[in-house]
Amino acid sequence: MDLHTKLKILGAAAKYDVSCSSSGSSRRNRPGGLGNASLPGVCHSWSDDGRCISLLKILFTNRCAFNCLYCVNRAPADVPRAIFTPDEVAQLTVNFYKRNYIEGLFLSSAVYKNPNYTMELLIATVKKLREEYQFNGYIHLKAIPGADPLLIDQAGKYVDRMSVNIELPSSQGLQLLAPQKNRDSIIRPMGFIHSKILQTREERKLYKNAPLFVPAGQTTQLIVGATPDNDLKILKLSESLYKRFSLKRIYYSAYVPVAQHPNLPAISAPPLMREHRLYQADWLLRFYGFKADELLDETQPLLDTELDPKSAWALRNLHLFPVEVNRADYEMLLRVPGIGVRSAKRIIAARRYSSIDFETLKRLGVVLKRARHFITCRGKFYGERNINELALYQMLKPASSRQDSSKSSSEQLTFSSLYPHLFQPQDFHTVITGEM
Amino acid sequence: MVYYVYDGSFDGLLTAIYEAYYRHQEPQKILSDESIQDNLFIQHVYIKADQQKAERVYSAIVHKISPAAAKKVLYAFLSEAEDAATAIYRYLKLGFKVGKSVDSALADPYVFRVHVLHKKVSGEAGKMLGLVRFRLLKNGIFYAPIEPDFNILGIIAPHFKKRMPTHDWIIHDLKRRIAAFYSQGQYTIAPFEFEGPLPLDEEEFDFQTLWREYFQNIAIKSRINPRLQRQFMPVRYWKHLIESPGANYK
Repeated sequence: MDLHTKLKILGAAAKYDVSCSSSGSSRRNRPGGLGNASLPGVCHSWSDDGRCISLLKILFTNRCAFNCLYCVNRAPADVPRAIFTPDEVAQLTVNFYKRNYIEGLFLSSAVYKNPNYTMELLIATVKKLREEYQFNGYIHLKAIPGADPLLIDQAGKYVDRMSVNIELPSSQGLQLLAPQKNRDSIIRPMGFIHSKILQTREERKLYKNAPLFVPAGQTTQLIVGATPDNDLKILKLSESLYKRFSLKRIYYSAYVPVAQHPNLPAISAPPLMREHRLYQADWLLRFYGFKADELLDETQPLLDTELDPKSAWALRNLHLFPVEVNRADYEMLLRVPGIGVRSAKRIIAARRYSSIDFETLKRLGVVLKRARHFITCRGKFYGERNINELALYQMLKPASSRQDSSKSSSEQLTFSSLYPHLFQPQDFHTVITGEM
Repeated sequence: MVYYVYDGSFDGLLTAIYEAYYRHQEPQKILSDESIQDNLFIQHVYIKADQQKAERVYSAIVHKISPAAAKKVLYAFLSEAEDAATAIYRYLKLGFKVGKSVDSALADPYVFRVHVLHKKVSGEAGKMLGLVRFRLLKNGIFYAPIEPDFNILGIIAPHFKKRMPTHDWIIHDLKRRIAAFYSQGQYTIAPFEFEGPLPLDEEEFDFQTLWREYFQNIAIKSRINPRLQRQFMPVRYWKHLIESPGANYK
């Protein structure tokens, strides 16, 4: 099989992995080497689905021993199979890198023969890149669930970022759709990587040249809409993962229907709007000081597809508004719809110099269309007077809801009404603890 | 009314700012010699670039305002916007009065303008770090043509120096007819013109095809989103790419 065919098969097979970022690594080039990690990351292109291409994202092989129902490469599926050699991967990476097509390599794999065997192949590849090819660009490696911690430890020395995919937000989901994976085989390597990262950080404080271990941290990915898990449950899970394992990011991937099975939801298109709202909520957790409990509760466990989660929160808490932009503290400014991290920081900086008038707010990057209902500026309120929550809701939601939003919300409805028996009582326990 | 006219170089601009301070004749505007128009009521004063004066102004910006302000001024200058020089002049005038807090005075239209220009230029430079595409030539040199809106060649060159220190490369700004030439640890930026077909290396074709195929395949068909793609990667940047965006929905 020639390289073109292999790249076609194994590139296409990797496309459902969302992560592409090349940020967060401080790896420096060495004399005579090729490549230098860029701390903020670099995007090199944007594919026709609008997603950024930063890394050469490929599977080492798509020959798989596992049978995860949601996956194109599940063992019994009738798809063309291929396997790279470590040298082929290294050649591709280095030559693409030199031409500035990519920032590095994202190497994942199906479970070939068994997890340890696969992991060893992956390690052989990244080791070759670093040592033989002197490659100092970015490498993101998937840890194969169930692989020996020793192998993960070894891999971590060569790569910038590692990730273990959670895949599904609950153990029941895993049991149902990915019978060979379990909570433990996913959580354990995450915990292991986390503790190694902490340990290495301490070592590097003492010895500047102590070897790196996954300097750009670890991430994970989960599929949204393949199981009946609701948004509250997903956000609770995310919150606890950020807290317990200091993950850099959690990627949400709208379930793309690739197979038919009684255990899978019957949908025609991926729930893109739901994925979008989850990302917004995820940002609120990480950068805006929100807690999952503030965004959703058990009476309302799904994010509104019509309205962004911050506006929705503000509407439920109208008693806190309006706030005076010249006086409110940073935390409160962040909670105003239409004010983001950057504009909040600018407001703080600008009002140190002089008090801010309404015109200046626009320049600072505040989206007044939304913000004006929630702020006063030099004591004056610029929103509509005598307005109730419902009318405000209508004003805040986008004028023409994007076409996929209505579609995906109806899909969510059909799915849970079609499979009501999948909501099991023990789900409520995990909703509260936020654990899988 | 008095307008100062400088020669279009950064040193020239800084010299004009120097003169604006030490001559008893405050300019209404500072313009580059390319953007002046004849007007009966305007007196154009030509300023000759003077490296020493320019250096004094630059170090004054760094020390009396802030290194960040110096960077903003340089980036705003590289935008080549017609009003950039005047905005920079007013920005610095306020800056020398209030020090580093000038960057908080966003209510001031000139300060705001300098910030906007800085953001535009650094934004394009950041994007260009990814969008540069090298082609391997027969003589072993990696060559990349670009046509950026702003004069960002000098900003992006150091990045590629760190990235590819062992290879010779050229990044060619076709619009401004200049190029960064790198070889063995050093680069220079000099006027450059090249026309005609590139003498590509044999293996170049194979990797270009591989990349094109990969690009085509990585898109998820049920998520095709031209608007999002163009928002991140405006169509005007597609010209010198190897891959062909949009092939999945055309």
